[in-house]
Amino acid sequence: MPSQDEIYQKVSATLVEALNVDEEEIQPTSTLQGDLGAESIDFLDIVFRLEREFGIKIPRGELFPESIFQGDPEFVKDGKVTEKGLSELREKMPFADIRKFEQNPEVTAISDLFTVDMITKYIQGKLQAN
Amino acid sequence: MRLKDQVALVTGGSRGIGRGIVLAFAREGARVAFLYKGSQSAAESLVQEVTAAGGIARAMQCDVTKNEEAQKVVDAVEKEWAPVNILVNNAGIIKDGLFVRMEPAEWQAVLDTNLGGTFNFCRAVAFAMARARKGRIINISSIAADHVNPGQTNYAASKGAINAFTRALAVELAGRGVTVNAIAPGFIATDMSEAIRNKAGDLITKMIPMKRLGQPDDIAKAAVFLASPEASYITGQVLKVDGGLSLGAAAV
Repeated sequence: MPSQDEIYQKVSATLVEALNVDEEEIQPTSTLQGDLGAESIDFLDIVFRLEREFGIKIPRGELFPESIFQGDPEFVKDGKVTEKGLSELREKMPFADIRKFEQNPEVTAISDLFTVDMITKYIQGKLQAN
Repeated sequence: MRLKDQVALVTGGSRGIGRGIVLAFAREGARVAFLYKGSQSAAESLVQEVTAAGGIARAMQCDVTKNEEAQKVVDAVEKEWAPVNILVNNAGIIKDGLFVRMEPAEWQAVLDTNLGGTFNFCRAVAFAMARARKGRIINISSIAADHVNPGQTNYAASKGAINAFTRALAVELAGRGVTVNAIAPGFIATDMSEAIRNKAGDLITKMIPMKRLGQPDDIAKAAVFLASPEASYITGQVLKVDGGLSLGAAAV
């Protein structure tokens, strides 16, 4: 079982390849879309590369849920994620750090949850479960 | 040689416009795999013609409406040469008839080949092109998408859909440096347009401002351009190659 730092290094190297960015640009808190410029097809590529790099299977929508709040109209109210929506988020993305998001849960800020650190934690959980 | 070391795949390549594109791509140095459905002898003689001229081509039998065959073909080309980095979706059919008498099968066959075939092959190459950050997709449309003729609801629908599909896919792949464009030919001297040409005779050439039918090579030259480095900043466009026919000017 690789250490968290080893996983982070591999995740970082994967992002360098998938997003065509320099390694120096990547920080644990970097957001994939805002900081690293990822587009939708890049998310697919990242999943693909992570699967190969770590020898794991990542079911569609598990690491990067596409429409997490579409299941229930009560998940979002007036552009903000409700308490019900937040608990859905905790359940679907236990590997994401939502503490900052909770303070001002604008639905449009959801992409800020997708960070390098989040991927690292997800992979770590995945490898532990195996 | 503008396409040196490129690997191209051309659907419907044994005759007509597709044949012209195969010849032009090979002339420009690409290795060209082309598909044919039934015209085996035409396909074989085209391979010979390309080879005799010092080019590289291979023919593969394939029904473009079969999704699983598309991936097999693409994988086979990659195994033999290298990943396909230029795709030309050219395979197309017509089944003209007035709409009120059009059979569902005539509608479906045209949509399945023209639009479905385009989907199948784009689907088979798009992700690999995106990952490689290199690729050109050229869909052969028709000016009949916008400048419609009676009896072609199925054909016009399929070509109009190809234009919209081209723009939508272009947006998805642009960030990865893959361009997706369409060419909309006017009246080209091929077997497919022969029936119409026979019926309308000189009228057609009179309608074309340049006063001549297009030749497959006219389309092929546009395809070479869109596949070449010169066109690297062009995506999501439908390029009309029709001698001015779509301008709609009255004969002078």
